[in-house]
Amino acid sequence: MPKYVMVIDQSRCVGCMACVVACKRENDVPPEQFRTRVLEMVKGEFPFLRSELRPELCNHCDHAPCVNVCPTGASHKEADGTVQIDRSRCVGCKACIAACPYNARYINEEHGFADKCTFCQQRLKVGLKPACVATCIGGSRIFGDISDPKSEVRRLIEDNSHRVLLESAGTEPNVYYINRYPKKLS
Amino acid sequence: MELTITGANAITFPHLHIWDWRVASYLFLGGLTGGLMSMSAITNLRAGKAIPHERHCCWPIPIISPLLLSLGMFFLFLDLELKQHMYWFYLTFQPTSPMSWGAWILVLIYPPMILYSLAAIPPPVAEKMAPGLLKSLSEKLRAHLLGIARVNFVGGILLSIYTGILLSTFLARPLWNSAILPVVFLVSGMSTGTALLIIMARQNEVKLFLTKVDIWLIFTEILVLLLFFYGHYSSDAANQAAIMPFMNVSHQYFPYFVSVVFLGIILPLAIAMKFMEVTADHSKSITPMGKFLMNTSAVLVLVGGLVVRFVMVYAGQLSSFTGLLK
Amino acid sequence: MSFSRRSFLKYAALSAGGTLLAETPFMGAKARAQAEGGKARYVPTTCEMCFWKCGVVAKVVDGKVVKLEGNPLHPQSLGKLCGRGQAGIGLLYDKDRLKVPMIRTGARGENRYKQASWDEALNYVAEKLTTIKGKYGAESIALFAHGSPGTYFANVVRALGSANISYPSFSQCLGARNVAWELTFGEAPQSTCERVDMANSRVIVLFGTHLGENMHNSQNQEFAQAVANGARIVVVDPRFSTAAGKASTWMPIKPGTDLALLLTWINLVITNGWYDKDYVNNYTNGFDKLAAEVKHYTPEWAARETELPEHDIVEVARALGRNAPNVMVHPGRHFSWHGNDTQRGRAMAILNALLGTWGRPGGIWLSPKGKLAKLTEHPAYPEPKRDSVVFGDYPFAGGEGLTNVVRETTISGDPYPIKAWIVTGTNLLKTMPNQEKTRKAIDKLDLLVSIDVMPTDTVMMADVILPECSYLERHDGLFGIETREAGVAIRQPVIEPLYQSKPAWWIGSQLCRALKLDDYAVKGTWEERMRREAKLWNIDYQELADKGYLSIPGSAAPYFTADNPPTFKTKSKKIELYSAELEDESFAPIPKYQAIEQPPAGQYRLLYGRSQVHTFSRTVNNQWLWELFKENQVWLNAKEAARLGLKDLALVRLVNQDGINSEPVRVKVTERIRPDCVYMVHGFGQHSPAMTRAYNRGADDQHLISKYKIDPICGTTGMRVNFVKIVKEA
Ligand SMILES: Nc1nc2c(c(=O)[nH]1)N[C@H]1C(S)=C(S)[C@@H](COP(=O)(O)OP(=O)(O)OC[C@H]3O[C@@H](n4cnc5c(=O)[nH]c(N)nc54)[C@H](O)[C@@H]3O)O[C@H]1N2
Ligand SMILES: Nc1nc2c(c(=O)[nH]1)N[C@H]1C(S)=C(S)[C@@H](COP(=O)(O)OP(=O)(O)OC[C@H]3O[C@@H](n4cnc5c(=O)[nH]c(N)nc54)[C@H](O)[C@@H]3O)O[C@H]1N2
Ligand code: SF4
Ligand code: SF4
Ligand code: SF4
Ligand code: SF4
Ligand code: SF4
Ligand SMILES: [Mo]
Repeated sequence: MPKYVMVIDQSRCVGCMACVVACKRENDVPPEQFRTRVLEMVKGEFPFLRSELRPELCNHCDHAPCVNVCPTGASHKEADGTVQIDRSRCVGCKACIAACPYNARYINEEHGFADKCTFCQQRLKVGLKPACVATCIGGSRIFGDISDPKSEVRRLIEDNSHRVLLESAGTEPNVYYINRYPKKLS
Repeated sequence: MELTITGANAITFPHLHIWDWRVASYLFLGGLTGGLMSMSAITNLRAGKAIPHERHCCWPIPIISPLLLSLGMFFLFLDLELKQHMYWFYLTFQPTSPMSWGAWILVLIYPPMILYSLAAIPPPVAEKMAPGLLKSLSEKLRAHLLGIARVNFVGGILLSIYTGILLSTFLARPLWNSAILPVVFLVSGMSTGTALLIIMARQNEVKLFLTKVDIWLIFTEILVLLLFFYGHYSSDAANQAAIMPFMNVSHQYFPYFVSVVFLGIILPLAIAMKFMEVTADHSKSITPMGKFLMNTSAVLVLVGGLVVRFVMVYAGQLSSFTGLLK
Repeated sequence: MSFSRRSFLKYAALSAGGTLLAETPFMGAKARAQAEGGKARYVPTTCEMCFWKCGVVAKVVDGKVVKLEGNPLHPQSLGKLCGRGQAGIGLLYDKDRLKVPMIRTGARGENRYKQASWDEALNYVAEKLTTIKGKYGAESIALFAHGSPGTYFANVVRALGSANISYPSFSQCLGARNVAWELTFGEAPQSTCERVDMANSRVIVLFGTHLGENMHNSQNQEFAQAVANGARIVVVDPRFSTAAGKASTWMPIKPGTDLALLLTWINLVITNGWYDKDYVNNYTNGFDKLAAEVKHYTPEWAARETELPEHDIVEVARALGRNAPNVMVHPGRHFSWHGNDTQRGRAMAILNALLGTWGRPGGIWLSPKGKLAKLTEHPAYPEPKRDSVVFGDYPFAGGEGLTNVVRETTISGDPYPIKAWIVTGTNLLKTMPNQEKTRKAIDKLDLLVSIDVMPTDTVMMADVILPECSYLERHDGLFGIETREAGVAIRQPVIEPLYQSKPAWWIGSQLCRALKLDDYAVKGTWEERMRREAKLWNIDYQELADKGYLSIPGSAAPYFTADNPPTFKTKSKKIELYSAELEDESFAPIPKYQAIEQPPAGQYRLLYGRSQVHTFSRTVNNQWLWELFKENQVWLNAKEAARLGLKDLALVRLVNQDGINSEPVRVKVTERIRPDCVYMVHGFGQHSPAMTRAYNRGADDQHLISKYKIDPICGTTGMRVNFVKIVKEA
């Protein structure tokens, strides 16, 4: 079984938001709702500034609080490592939304079920990369199977110092971040 | 730092925005029902000891409890986005989900509650009932009233504490994520239940007894609330930030600040009023002024309990770890 | 660090581990549909959400376009689309689209129209045009266009006997840049895209050029690759742009002083011997004169003039010199800034020449070999009886002509009246500086025809509105695409046109027929013509239609090599550091620094730029982009904001030097901009209520750009010369 992960090379992100739009169209996300977002953070005082671009999405946590709190079992972890929602079981109680420390979830305003990034399961099934990855202008989002020692994601995680978001929350995310800032040469 | 988020969901940014009065009312009514169950059970268990031997001191209460709980559940039902999938609650049990526990606790709690309400019907009332199943059942159950009351006492505590556990397991919401929160909700549930009993009880001795009990409950409530805040205050940045709305007089957080002031006034006031009556001379019957003091303080307690649920539900949604993600 | 060409190619093909299908090149639309079980249909086509011309693969399910993807075969998209490209569906299904032909019934701008049939509308236009031609001559009919619909109406206008055709892409965009490089290298630094070899560059200097916000697809892909390669990025920009966030040196230059910095770098590169000596000796002329001329531009002086640290100025010049020729001073694109733009472009070109970047890896690559033949199927156009006005009195005006001169002529009637405007693919009120003049000119017209997709401000001034269908519903092209290689791309309908909208080719052809200019109408359908064109080019049309893009083998020759020796298309056949051509027209043959006017106390220079998720004013109503960026804000330096007592998101108005008020707009209080200027994203402040989402959102920068400074060399309009003060809105 593969174990899917995403590696995000922040230094490559150009903040284009192609991922945000692509995700919405691929997954029919209703107006003004989102499965992924991009944060731009600028620190410092003029003219000494530093900027971080950070795409965020569901971390498909190994220890997923959203799954734990779900009263119906609609939210669940699948064998490929992804966390998914069975829409026909979801009662829309929103517990999972409150439980996710990453604010990755929302209620689909058109249909009422809880929703979030699925790693584009429907695309994975036909051998395509997730929509956001496929269109990532900066090549910042890299997707693959971490259980495969030859995979690019495995190599990137092994070769780079990396972090996950809110590691202290103990959720064991499967979205890894590398190169928080672009290299500064002088 | 300048932060721009592109693609933020309104229900999670700038803060969680999912639960409103429906959930707060459900939690209040759940706690209240728990309190009613436990405290009315006590009036039965203590009958003949602390209070006159009169088991039907406020017999409509056990009937009201399931109604109030059902009203609370109705509010919760209103909050569900996919009501037609409700049945899934009962096609599964998810041991890690407090809400799943809650769903089943609710189911388990109705039978003793209903048995209790039947058992508690006093003989004079039962006699007036039309003959039939209910009447005979009520008569049979009466013999087991004490046993049923004991079960209700425990059930009430479970129910009250559950409403707090529900919120306290949300690791992602620092305000809720406190081991003291279930105690807050438990004590508050018990004291609101007591308060409603005080208002409804017709025997003055019962009123007085419950008023005495409530003094301790409110006192404990103030104590655990202080502990709750101190727990956050002495903890990490996210926890400290979580109680910030209560200490902030700015426009945005004003209701939270007011709620602290309000609770800070009404709970001690309730104690004071109760104290005045409890320490009064009760050799004669209770004066209208005494009744007024007891009832008014009970209303204050109910309002206080409602305020606690509302501010906890709303302020908890303001708290998150996203601040630390920067 | 690896700077090999291979690294770029590898990136383009995107090889990841595992068995993901996307790594295998696009197998064509039919094969993909089959591989996926045939539930969806795929149609390759070309994006028109901006002018980068990316290859798109559209997915259609049950007759609905559900997803757009980048065509992996197409070099402008390399399998990806930017956010705007992804949102093309938002244009297609925008409920506010123009749906039927309309004829004005009320006063201009009053928004009163009656619906008309195509016949009625086209005959109406034809009648009016005929009358105007009879009364004032054919030259009194002018075309303003941008993007692909222009071709079809240029045909109509030329057939009528007028050459008054202008595109804002010259005078409001890249005209001065192209002229500068043509004067220097004999050629513009752009074919289909800027020919910048960023993937192989060691040092990249950006003047403005706010990549990351300027979201031209493949260029941004390559920029990200450069960042990942560890190329040194230097950003010269008064504002901390997204690109500046990637830079190792951000140079917050005082606006309008770029030439001082460039001339100083030229001086430093020469005096320190950091230039490419062989290259300069062999391929340039005028070096000595240049060296003498720039001597007095010292770093100390430049530091004062530009308000940049002297250390950075010297250090970047050294980095450029050390790494030459695998470096670039990016030529930029939007260039009409301050009215002295050709000379700034000249200085950039000269600096590139000294560093030997033209034709070198990491510098400016060469356009591919071989040109596609032109298919002409109509008789020659009649020679206009009177010269066109589109080049004004500017000796080096060229390219797509000067919109501003056509407008000026319309107002003055000198040398002859202009009485009809055909406007397509451009929103003149938003695009040209000084809206007052645009309105005045429109007042003079007997006929204003608009062929557009959305009811924009300019469209709502038209006498006749002809609804074009969106790019996803029409044949267009074929497009010759020149990137490192030459290739051909197609635009073909993904679905049939919605409502009564029609493709521009059809509208143009029908208009020819209505005008009795049948010889100039398309023979048959445009698709049939495309097939004939493909045949002429020796291209398999069927394969092109299935794959969306076909490259022309052997056309790529990006660098100078032994087989591909340097040649330059200038008069002297050399790179002209010293321009005799400019000298002949009494312009400085070597750029000379002249300080520009600075804002008086209490006022700020108004700067503008792009949002990464919008294209000018054309996407502001698109649901999927609107929701990401609903309105623009005014960027104001935090210290200035504190001084003015303005909090973040405070509502203000800007008032310019001519007393013109902006719409109410919110302030973005930021450290990311110098204290002497403010910045806005261009394209907002739509006044047309028919654009329901965009209506009255944000403020219109163009409204405040009442002043513009014309570049005397080529007639382009410098638009960053307006000063504003900030007034709190009650
Ligand atoms: N998303 C998106 N991308 C686009 C477009 C779009 O509409 N939307 N349009 C495309 C087109 S046609 C063009 S022409 C390009 C335009 O995009 P560019 O060619 O990148 O435009 P510039 O004007 O060079 O860059 C704008 C930047 O210049 C800075 N600037 C302002 N004044 C000065 C100055 O005096 N000196 C210096 N050094 N910098 C200054 C501003 O702060 C701003 O950051 O974008 C293209 N890409
Ligand atoms: N103040 C200010 N002025 C500027 C600029 C700036 O940054 N600030 N930028 C300048 C630059 S670099 C440029 S290139 C120009 C761009 O100037 P324009 O090209 O005029 O820019 P847009 O505002 O995108 O207007 C495009 C028009 O084309 C229509 N359109 C879109 N798609 C189609 C189609 O498929 N068919 C037809 N028929 N019409 C279509 C849109 O509805 C809209 O009316 O603006 C220049 N002017
Ligand atoms: S990121 Fe949130 S929604 Fe996703 S798996 Fe983790 S807890 Fe669940
Ligand atoms: S909203 Fe749906 S998925 Fe989320 S916890 Fe409730 S039932 Fe589970
Ligand atoms: S993986 Fe798919 S669902 Fe998840 S953010 Fe990317 S596009 Fe959206
Ligand atoms: S598509 Fe890629 S580069 Fe663009 S914003 Fe998303 S992550 Fe960043
Ligand atoms: S850069 Fe974006 S909007 Fe422009 S053509 Fe390419 S995909 Fe379309
Ligand atoms: Mo442009």
